[in-house]
Amino acid sequence: MAIRRLTSEWTARLLLTILVAGLFVAILAGRHAAQAVEVHAVMPERGGWLPGNLSAKVGVPLNLRLISDDVMHGFAVGRQTWPAVDVRPGQVSELTLTFDEPGSYTFYCTRWCGPNHWRMRGTIDVTGEASGPTVAESPEQPLYISLGLDIDAPHEVDVRFDQPPSAKRGEALDFSAPPRFRYRNVYLEQPPYELQQALRVDPRMAELSDADIWDLIAFLWQSQLTPSSVQLGQRLYAENCSACHGEDGDGEGVIAPSNMARNDTESVGGALLPPSDFTDAQQMLGANTALLQGKIIRGGMGTGMPYWGTIFTEEEIEALVDYIWTFQFPMTAGE
Amino acid sequence: MTRSTEPVMSSPRYSGQARYDLTRFPAAKALLINRWPQFLVRVIALVGFLFAILAGLSGTPVGSRNFGIVFIWIVWWALLILVAVPLLGRGWCTICPIPMPGEWLQNRALLGPKGRKPPFGLGRKWPKSLRNIWVQNGAFALLALFSAVVLTQPGVTAVILAAFLFIALGTSLIFERRAFCRYLCPVGGFIGLYSQAAPVEVRVRDTAVCAAHTTKTCYTGSEDGFGCPWGVFPGGLVKNTNCGMCLECLRTCPLDNVAINIRSVGADLTQPRGRKLDEAFKAFIMLGSAFVYSAVMLGPWGQMKAAAYNIGSLPWLLYILVFLVFTFGLLPGLFYLATRAGQILTPRRQSSRKSFTAYAYALVPLGLAAWIAFSLSFVFANASYILPVLSDPLGWGWDLLGTAEYGWTPYLTQHVPALQTLVMVVGLAWAGVTVRRIAQESNNPVSWRQAIPINLFCLLVTVGFLWLFVG
Amino acid sequence: MNAQAAVASIANPRYRYWPWFLLALLALSISFIPLPTSTAVPGSKKLRISASQYEFSPAVTRVNVGDRVTIELLSTDVVHGLYLDGYDLEVIADPGQTATLSFIADKSGTFRFRCLVTCGPLHPFMIGKLKVGSNTLLWRGLALAVLAAAIGFWRLRR
Repeated sequence: MAIRRLTSEWTARLLLTILVAGLFVAILAGRHAAQAVEVHAVMPERGGWLPGNLSAKVGVPLNLRLISDDVMHGFAVGRQTWPAVDVRPGQVSELTLTFDEPGSYTFYCTRWCGPNHWRMRGTIDVTGEASGPTVAESPEQPLYISLGLDIDAPHEVDVRFDQPPSAKRGEALDFSAPPRFRYRNVYLEQPPYELQQALRVDPRMAELSDADIWDLIAFLWQSQLTPSSVQLGQRLYAENCSACHGEDGDGEGVIAPSNMARNDTESVGGALLPPSDFTDAQQMLGANTALLQGKIIRGGMGTGMPYWGTIFTEEEIEALVDYIWTFQFPMTAGE
Repeated sequence: MTRSTEPVMSSPRYSGQARYDLTRFPAAKALLINRWPQFLVRVIALVGFLFAILAGLSGTPVGSRNFGIVFIWIVWWALLILVAVPLLGRGWCTICPIPMPGEWLQNRALLGPKGRKPPFGLGRKWPKSLRNIWVQNGAFALLALFSAVVLTQPGVTAVILAAFLFIALGTSLIFERRAFCRYLCPVGGFIGLYSQAAPVEVRVRDTAVCAAHTTKTCYTGSEDGFGCPWGVFPGGLVKNTNCGMCLECLRTCPLDNVAINIRSVGADLTQPRGRKLDEAFKAFIMLGSAFVYSAVMLGPWGQMKAAAYNIGSLPWLLYILVFLVFTFGLLPGLFYLATRAGQILTPRRQSSRKSFTAYAYALVPLGLAAWIAFSLSFVFANASYILPVLSDPLGWGWDLLGTAEYGWTPYLTQHVPALQTLVMVVGLAWAGVTVRRIAQESNNPVSWRQAIPINLFCLLVTVGFLWLFVG
Repeated sequence: MNAQAAVASIANPRYRYWPWFLLALLALSISFIPLPTSTAVPGSKKLRISASQYEFSPAVTRVNVGDRVTIELLSTDVVHGLYLDGYDLEVIADPGQTATLSFIADKSGTFRFRCLVTCGPLHPFMIGKLKVGSNTLLWRGLALAVLAAAIGFWRLRR
């Protein structure tokens, strides 16, 4: 009896030890091997991407394990074609990236995670020899630089409409605008207001009313846009810009107030600088496309506007500005 | 199953209620006496407990994807409040892992005693002034003040669980028996009180047998088992409150005099002996905290949730003030007024304090109903976290069962309000029956009038809960 | 005994279980008796609900039974969602991208809606209420509560 008790007791002790030790072993074994780089996402106020700097080698796959420690985030690499991946709270997303060219890549958060979401970026430094044939390209200068534009200069103009310009009416005018006005560089480099001034004094436009000229300009602008470009711009706008600039482009996005307050120290004349109102004709019609692209690329010093040069490709920035023009010159259905 | 024999039924403390002795069933008795089933469940619970602590400390801080939060505050809590407490009283204490490391050290064994060695540790007696549940009341209230953070942050849950473990271990090494369970554990405080309503009890079959037994091995211990770890003399058990159903006395009694009875619900509530103010206040703490939790956590008022969560801020201080005033002041105060009104209606008076304390036990079924109704809401809404967390308990990307990618989906939430209504109404009816019985205890023929304001109080509280849950 | 005698015995107040029978009858009628439905004309309602950590604003809204309800969920800080109990409908909105949910409120009562996307620690408690028509469950519950309280007075005075 005593021996049975003794063996019972030792069996019990063995069982306890095995189970408790097994628990610790299981946890340690389950700790992910350092094959992959683990990146935690938290709201930027608490650190953003942890770690924020990654390194990789050309041609060597970079295995990433992405996990959020608080709210929904997303991950994408700027100016690349890999689709964005949701980084979900408490759930690991695995991603493998292989880079063909060395350089510094920016990755960023793609799902709004608070007022500072747009600051949530990190870098991947890729070293090594470029694989595959390299296209000897001189990095293209953004247009605003080659034009020597000052993006911070004010561009307010005095414009009044009885009714907003309509491209449809402009098309119905069936007026052959002089060929030089149809060139793409007019769309790129000339603010609509300047164009209007030029058309106003052109003797061939004398019969047109002011409203007609604006309709014509709307039509000219619209003929430079393509539906696919506007669609791309709309998607990018909704995902990246509407939280501050508003879903209707009026500068009153949900995140806007928190950004306004933060930047009042550098605001002009002590006033708060809200995000730009794309529906404000006085501001928009004095700007040209290159200027708008420049603001997106470089961001605004002293305002909450982030810089997107490392995030968006040229095509994406053009699409965005194409879309932004539709706040002034709405795309009618079917065009 | 046979009814208990005559000697038990004739004992004055049983109020003539039916009891069915489980141990008359040889298979049941063998299962309960054998130490292995209980030991195995305890070990599994201990491993789960340790895992919850480790998950909280090293796993993801996202509560819904962390084993610690999901398995403690959803699974364990649901099993406790929906199954263990209503059906088994202190049934959780039977298998609770928290005191086990300390107890195993004290006993110098994991299973039964091996020879008669003295317990390991200092074996001090618990201070007389603390031999009540006021410390447990305070501990529960303290936890409640921080509940918004405790329930949602895995790290905080882990620290608290680890603290329980270490405090239990420490008290076992300093004091005799299970001092932590009896006098410190906040969970034990409330399930002890609520076990009075349970349909299960541990009692002796014949007190005369105990009186004749000189060595009282159920209390002192023997070769077959340890003396009652809860410091209770089983022969004198009248209420469930302090019996942790650890089944030691079943093993120690050489005269086969210990029975595990199935009985009607609420039997101890109408037991006039042993009613104490600390237990009465526990009833108010439970009722009050259920009300505050239902308002803050289940209500649509975001400001209150933020206040409860931002520990240290001014809104939080306001929140804890309101909580404490409501639970320790307003509720007992209103109840006191109700007992006073009852006293005034009754010509021949009883002591106010006795009346207050006695009727407070009627709040046990009401509080239990409120806690069940409250828990139903978040358990049903969040039960879908269980499967994913079983596959990926630490949020490290494991997928043990293949369910890690299951998303959140609420279960049966469209039926929860109706269930809550049903539970509250049943609780109110039960409370009313209890009030009635308590009123009829006294020989005073007009004491029934005391029941009127108390029943109105219970109705008022129920209306408040219904509005919070369903309104 | 024949059916007539059986019914007579149950309906007799001297029947031992008569109080239980009466209680059950009352409880069942309170629970299931059809109440008059709302006479309000169903129309169209647009509800603009903002979601922030951790509340909906407005947290409590009211519509009529039969209304075509359009909920516009506007997240103001992080990604939130809205799941409506009882209707089993859900919608998720990122800040800057208002999401819409459209349905006909054919069931009356008070329905809770919860956040659907983990938006922080208090996410499970982010709750709002949609009141459709009258809350019959609450009225029935209150009536049942009065009935239950009455049990506390039954045969009280011996």
